[in-house]
Amino acid sequence: MSAAKQWSSEAIEAALAVQGVELAAGRAARLAQGLNALSVADPLRDALELESDPTGYALALERCKAK
Amino acid sequence: MNDPAAWSLAEAARALRQRKVAPRELVEACFARIERWQPRINAFVSQEKNAAGDANGAIAGVPLAHKDMFYRAGRVSNCGSKIRRGWVATETSAALERLDRAGALQIGTLNMSEFAYGPTGHNEHWGDCRNPWHPDHITGGSSSGSGAAVAARLAFGALGSDTGGSVRLPAAACGVTGLKTTWGRVSRHGAMPLSHSLDTIGPLARSAEDCALLLAAIAGHDPRDPLSAREPVPDYSKNLVVKEFRVALSTAWIERHTQPQVAAAVLGAASLLRSTGVKLIEAPAPDFDALSAHCLVVMQAEASAQHAKWMRERPADYSSAVRARLEAGFAIPAAAYLESLRLRAAWLERFCSTTLAGADLYLLPAINVPVPTREQTGPRGGGEMPKLLGEVTRLTRWVNYLGVPALVVPCGFDSHGLPVAIQLVGRPFAEATLLAAGHAYQRETDWHQRVPAER
Repeated sequence: MSAAKQWSSEAIEAALAVQGVELAAGRAARLAQGLNALSVADPLRDALELESDPTGYALALERCKAK
Repeated sequence: MNDPAAWSLAEAARALRQRKVAPRELVEACFARIERWQPRINAFVSQEKNAAGDANGAIAGVPLAHKDMFYRAGRVSNCGSKIRRGWVATETSAALERLDRAGALQIGTLNMSEFAYGPTGHNEHWGDCRNPWHPDHITGGSSSGSGAAVAARLAFGALGSDTGGSVRLPAAACGVTGLKTTWGRVSRHGAMPLSHSLDTIGPLARSAEDCALLLAAIAGHDPRDPLSAREPVPDYSKNLVVKEFRVALSTAWIERHTQPQVAAAVLGAASLLRSTGVKLIEAPAPDFDALSAHCLVVMQAEASAQHAKWMRERPADYSSAVRARLEAGFAIPAAAYLESLRLRAAWLERFCSTTLAGADLYLLPAINVPVPTREQTGPRGGGEMPKLLGEVTRLTRWVNYLGVPALVVPCGFDSHGLPVAIQLVGRPFAEATLLAAGHAYQRETDWHQRVPAER
């Protein structure tokens, strides 16, 4: 598995420009820093089954209710 | 107490039912205090002196005020923003409709963070809301006016919304009781959206007993909100006197990571609960940072999608702080957003089967540090500001990601006289247990009855 690349200022600027969003001056570098900090290692990620999707959360809420 | 504005909501409702006081007298008592406090704390956006309501209902005649994002047909909802300044709603939110049906009076709308997208109560369009305990300090946000108005006894209770801590942070910072409800427990119809996977609506009031009355009025299924739960609504007030409950706690984590004054107050509250017969169980702390990161991914992606049109057409009309948060959401890949949502069920099950194994509730601080100043957390906060803001929200966002309910209850004061609060987190739809635990604690303490001094 290849290591994930970090966000760069240029990549952020391009990603927003494609969506028609103008970045405030001097923001790209700070945004890249913030987004890179969000890439927290998640111990449950590797155990995700192919069949799991976001709607499974509604069922989990039901299962986890106090009995 | 001579000033009826100082009563709790439950006391006011009782006095009204027994005709010991008239609704008009309560409204006048609130406005006498609003007149004195508003210049100091900037909690109100609009005031309604001729509020009227249904004479019947559990809280008939009780004056309330709400965050300026709950729509009422024909009335302005500014949502704390420049963009929606003067916007007139065409429908009434489900939560307000239900409070109307319970007979509550709405005496005004309350200040909030711009579009409910900020944790401190700063607002460059409407002016910062200021903490009644010390105006140099933050109220917490985004339901800033709700926390400040209830703390200063300007209204008997208030609605707030909580997407990452927006009910609990102002409740904690202002020394009032605040309930973040289970995702889906209260209809979001007619309330300004921020992030549909995380948004919840809940009350801020003077006690757990007061929150029980408000929740009873607003909870329940609403077909107009497709995410509204069909879970039956228990009698929250009747269930306040509970049975035994077991409370999980991560003492080692608190001793290691929480600022010492806050840790002492929170662990003191745990000891007090133990002395009343509550069983305390040591439990592993959830992975707050991983869960908060997932919460941020979901919140930023959804909030930015919600605001995409205005971000393309008029970005300069947002404050720089909110614009920056919205910009970040546009850089989150769709796959990362969906992966955070796919992981949500697994994390909820892990929390309930590990941290809550053998316990009904989990106790932790609401805010991990003493309530900071507005300057420390504002535009001139300097290099330390992001880290400090991270500590302010560190223990609230993870709860929204899991979607579970949490109650914030005041438990002391720091050395600057600012409130400190515990947070109790429960399983999905365990609001009744949370309120009972908060009520049990408040029967033994008087932190929730302390009122900030008028200067």
